[in-house]
Amino acid sequence: MDIVLGQLFTGLSIGSILLLVALGLAIIYGSMGVINLAHGEFVMLGAYSTWLLQSAFGLPFLACLVLVFFMVAFAGWVVERGVVRFLYYRPLDTILATWGIGIILQQAVRLSAGAELRYVQTPEALAGSIDLLGIAIPSYRLFILAVTAGLLLLTWFLVQHTEFGMKLRAVTQNREMASCYGINSSRVFSLTFAFGSGLAGLAGALVAPIKSVAPDMGTNFVVDAFMVVVVGGVGSLLGTVASSGILGGSTAGLAFLLNDTLAKALVFLAVVVLIRFRPRGLFVDRVRR
Amino acid sequence: MTITRRSFIKSTAIAGAAGAVGFPHIWIKDSGLAWAAGNEIKVGVLFSLTGTTAVVEKSLHNATLMAIDEINKAGGINGMKITPVVEDPASDPATFADKANKLVLNDRCVSVFGSYTSASRKAVLPVFEKRKNLYWYPTLYEGRECSKDVMYTGAVPNQQQKDFIPWLVKNHGKKFYLIGSNYIYPKEENNVCKILLQQLGGEVVGEEYVPLGHSEFGSVLNKFRETKPDVIFSTVVGDSVIALHKQYKAAGFTPDKMPMASLTTSEVEIAAMGGEYAAGHYTSAPYFMSHQSPENQKFVENYQKRYGKDAVTHFVSEPAYFQIYLFRQAVEKLGKGDITPINIRDAAGGLEIMAPQGRVKVDPDNLHCYLWPKIAQAQADGQFKVIEQSAEWVKPEPYWAYPGQSCTKDGLKGA
Amino acid sequence: MSRIKSPSHAWPPANSSAPPAAARPSLPQRASYVQILVYLAFCLLILAVPLVIDDAFLLNKYARYLALGLAAAALSLSWGYSGILNLGQGVSFGLGAYAIAMHLKLKTSPVHTGAAGLPDFMVWNNVQTLPWFWEPFHSTLFAILAGMLLPVIVASLLGWFMFRARIVGVYVAIITLAMLVVTNLLFIDQQRYTGGFNGLTDLAWLEIGGVEFDPYSPTFYYLTAGCLSVCLLLGLALTRSKAGLILRAIRNDVDRVRFFGYDVAAYQILAFAVSAGMAGVAGMLYAMVLEFASPTFMGVPLSLSMVIWAAVGGRGSLLGATIGAILVNFMQGSLSETFLDTWQLILGALFILVVLFLPNGLASLIDMAGERLGRAPPRARTEEPAAAAPRAMGTFNTKQRG
Repeated sequence: MDIVLGQLFTGLSIGSILLLVALGLAIIYGSMGVINLAHGEFVMLGAYSTWLLQSAFGLPFLACLVLVFFMVAFAGWVVERGVVRFLYYRPLDTILATWGIGIILQQAVRLSAGAELRYVQTPEALAGSIDLLGIAIPSYRLFILAVTAGLLLLTWFLVQHTEFGMKLRAVTQNREMASCYGINSSRVFSLTFAFGSGLAGLAGALVAPIKSVAPDMGTNFVVDAFMVVVVGGVGSLLGTVASSGILGGSTAGLAFLLNDTLAKALVFLAVVVLIRFRPRGLFVDRVRR
Repeated sequence: MTITRRSFIKSTAIAGAAGAVGFPHIWIKDSGLAWAAGNEIKVGVLFSLTGTTAVVEKSLHNATLMAIDEINKAGGINGMKITPVVEDPASDPATFADKANKLVLNDRCVSVFGSYTSASRKAVLPVFEKRKNLYWYPTLYEGRECSKDVMYTGAVPNQQQKDFIPWLVKNHGKKFYLIGSNYIYPKEENNVCKILLQQLGGEVVGEEYVPLGHSEFGSVLNKFRETKPDVIFSTVVGDSVIALHKQYKAAGFTPDKMPMASLTTSEVEIAAMGGEYAAGHYTSAPYFMSHQSPENQKFVENYQKRYGKDAVTHFVSEPAYFQIYLFRQAVEKLGKGDITPINIRDAAGGLEIMAPQGRVKVDPDNLHCYLWPKIAQAQADGQFKVIEQSAEWVKPEPYWAYPGQSCTKDGLKGA
Repeated sequence: MSRIKSPSHAWPPANSSAPPAAARPSLPQRASYVQILVYLAFCLLILAVPLVIDDAFLLNKYARYLALGLAAAALSLSWGYSGILNLGQGVSFGLGAYAIAMHLKLKTSPVHTGAAGLPDFMVWNNVQTLPWFWEPFHSTLFAILAGMLLPVIVASLLGWFMFRARIVGVYVAIITLAMLVVTNLLFIDQQRYTGGFNGLTDLAWLEIGGVEFDPYSPTFYYLTAGCLSVCLLLGLALTRSKAGLILRAIRNDVDRVRFFGYDVAAYQILAFAVSAGMAGVAGMLYAMVLEFASPTFMGVPLSLSMVIWAAVGGRGSLLGATIGAILVNFMQGSLSETFLDTWQLILGALFILVVLFLPNGLASLIDMAGERLGRAPPRARTEEPAAAAPRAMGTFNTKQRG
C-alpha cells in the first residue's frame, strides 16, 4: 500500500514540476501563439540566477525566488521587445527565432558562469522528510507542490480578475478589435511574455536544488513542457493543470513498472496519438481566434 | 598550445580558400621525424569540459595539465617540452571519436590522454587501433578489454570488486539492488558483481539503469522501498550521482540500514553534492584523497595551490596525474628519432613509479597497472575514511571474471 | 567552398542553347535553364575538389559537410517546398546511420570478447545469439536499401498518420519533435540491440564490388559528393515536376489546392517520404565518414541545427539549404576551440537576423542584389549563382498563379 502511495506522490511531484515549467509556456503560447523554444533557457537562467544570488551574495533561498522572478521576467521582456514582437504573424518562425535566442542565452551563460555544473543548496528547513500516512515524503517536494499551487492561483487570478487579465483576454481573442478599443496590445504582449518568462525563471530556481544546474539543462524541460501545453489544450489553464497531472502520473506509473526511459518514450508516443486526434488538446477553451 | 592551434587554423583556412595548398599526406605511417618536431612533444588532452560527466572530467583535465606543467618546469623530457593540445568532446561519444581523429591525424599527437566513461573509450578505441597511436586511460573500468594501443592506469574489477563484494555481504547482507547509468560500464560491472554474488550465495533483488544525466529518482527510490535490499550497488555516474544521493536522503533512507556501495562515487562528486549527503556510503578504489604518503601530500598541496583550496583529488584524477609521469619515464628511454606511439608503449611496459597511492607498476602483458585496492566510507567532511586496504599491490586481470580468457602480450587468449 | 568559380565552362552552353528556339526566350524560361546549370555547376564543383586538395584529413572533413548538406537539402524539400516543418529530421538521418552501421559492425571481427560473429557490445550486454533483425544486415545491398527505405517507410506511415488528419503547421512540428525524442529514447534504452548511449563504434569500411571506401580517402569523398549530386538533381527534378508545382501551391494555400480536387495529403506524404529517404542517405554517409553511429544523431540539438542551416542558406532552395549547411559547418570546423564559444553566440545572432529579415535565407540576399541591378539571370554569373535561380523560379510561380 505504501508503495502505491509513494508512487502516487512521485507522480504528483513530477507533475508539479512539469506544471511549474509549463505554466509560463502555456500563458505565452495560449495568449500570443508564440512557440517559445527559449523557454527552457529561461528556466536555466532562473536556476543560474539563484545559484549566483546564493553563492555570491549569500541570499536566503526564499529571497532569491522573488528576485529571480523579476530578473528573468526582465530578460523575457527584452527578448519580446527585441525579437519576438516582429514575428506575431509568423508562428512557425517564432520556433526558429526563439531557438536562436536559446542558443545565445546558453552560450552567454556558458561564457560568463562557466560550463561546469553548479549546485544550489536546499534550504535547511526543507532538507528533511515528513512522515505522511506511513511514507516519508521529502519536504522540499511538498514545498514545490505548494508553491506551484500558489503560482497557479495567482496566475488564474491575474488572468480572470484583474484589469490586465481582462485586456489580455481581449487581445487574445481579437487583437485588432482590442486595439480599436484603446488597449495597447503590444504592451499587453510584452508584459505577458515577461510574466511567462518570470514564471519559467521561478521554475528554474525551484528545481535547482534537486537537479544540477548546467547551461544546457533547459533543452529537456522545453520539450516536456510543450507536450504538457499541447495535451492540455491551448489557452486553457485548467487543461494545463490536468495534463501535467496526467503526464506526470503516467510517467511515474510506467517508470515503476518498466523504467524511466521507456516510460517517457511511451508517454510521448501517447501524446503524438493524442495530437493526431485532438490537435487542440484535451481541454480547449470555448473561445479561440 | 595556442601556436599549434593557430597554425592549424591558418593552414585549414588557406587550404580551404585557395584549394591548392594542402598538407602532405599527414597520416601516412611513422616517419619518426614528424612525431617530435622541433623541441616539443605534442600530446592530446581529451576530457569533457561540458556535458553530463564534465563534473568529473574537468578534474582529470586539470590533473593532466598540472602534471604536464610540472614536467615542463622541471626541464621537460630530455630537453623537449610537452605541448598539450586540448579538445572538449562535450560528454558525447561521437564527438570523442571525432576529436580523437583530429588529434591523431591532424595534430600528430604521439599520445592522447583522455576519457572518463567507457562509452567514450569504446568510441575512440578504433581510432587508436587503426592509426597505431597510443591512448592513456586513467579511469577505473569494467575490464574485458585487451587493446594493445591503450595504457590503462585505472582499476579493473578484480582491483575493486574482489574484496569489496564479500566485505559488503559479510557486513551488510546478501540482498543487492543494482542501479547504474545506462551504458556499457555499469552493465559489465554488474555482470561481474552478479557472478561474485552467485558464488557468495547473494541475491539480486533489482537491477535498473537510468539514462546518463538522469535526475528524477522518485520511482527508483520507491523500488528500493519495496524490495528492501541490504546494499544498493551503484554504478551511476556523472551528475546523476548527485541527484541520487540528495533524493535518497530526502526520501528518509539512511546508510546504516541500506548503504550505497559504489565504484565511482569519489571526493569530487561529494564536493559537488555536499558531504552530508554522502556520509556513511561506501566506495572501493585504489586511492583516496585522505591517503597518507609524502607523494600524496605533495600532489594534494600542488593541486590545491593551483586550483583553489576547495579543489579535491580523487581516484581518477590521481591516475590522470601519475600516468603523465609514466609517459615521461617511457619517453626518456627513447632517442629523439625513436619517439613513436608504439615505442612509447613498449618502453612503458614494466615501468614502476611512486604514485600518490603508493608504488604502481605497468603490467607488460596487458598494459594495465598494479594498484592498491581499498574500501572506504564517506564522511560528512567530504573525505573518505579507509576501512580496509590490501596488504600488497594487486595484479590487474581484465578478464578476471571470465575463467579461460586472459589478456596477454599477443592479445586476448581463450574464447 | 563558398567561392564558386567555374562559370567559364558552365555558362557558354546556356548561351548556345538560348538562341535556336525563339529570338529571345522569356525570362522564366531562361531562369529555369540557369537553375539547372547552376545545380550542375555545383555538382561539378564539389566533384572536382579532390583534384586540388590532396589531404585525406581535409577531404574527410569536406565529405562530412557534404553529408550534412544533404540532410539540409532533404529538409528544404519538405519544409521549403512543401511547408512541412520537420523538427524530427534526425529520425530518418539516424535510421540511415544505424542501418549502414549495423552492416559495418557485422563486418568487424570483435577482438576483445573472443565471440566471433557477435558484435562486441552484445556480448557485454549478455546477448547470446545475433537477433533475427540483425541477420539480413550481413548483406551490403540490404543495408543500403534499408538505410534508404526504412526512413521512407517510417515517414510514409507518420505522414499518412498526420496528413490524413489534416494536421498542419505547428502541430506537425510538435509531432515530429515528439517522434524524434521517442526514437532517441528507444535507441538509448535498447542497449542490447543498438549499443545504447555508446552507439555503434568500431565500424569496418564499406566495400562495394572490391572497392573499399576508407573515409579518409578521395574514393570516399567521391562517394559522398556523388550521392549529394544525384540527390540534388533528383530533388530538382521533383520540384520542377507537376508534383513540385502542386506542393508549392499547397504550401501557399492548402485549401485552394484541396478545392481543386487534388489529394493534398498524398502529395504531402510524397514530399515527406522523399525527404526522409534523402535524409537516410545523408545519415548513412555521415555514419561512414565518422565511422560511428550515435544516438546523438537523433538528438534534438542536431535536428534543430539542420533547420538552422537550411534557414540560413535558404529554405526555399535545395541548393541554398545545402550551401547553408556546408557554410555553417565549414566555418564552425575551421575555428579553434576557444573561439568556438563566441562563434556559437554569433551563430545564434546570425540565425535570429536571418529569421527576422531574410526569411528565405542568404539566397534571398543574392536575389535582392539581383533585383536592384534589374536583371536577375546574368547576375548569377558572378556571385554565388546557386541561390538566385530557385528564387527566380518562385517569382515565376507567383506570376503564373496571379
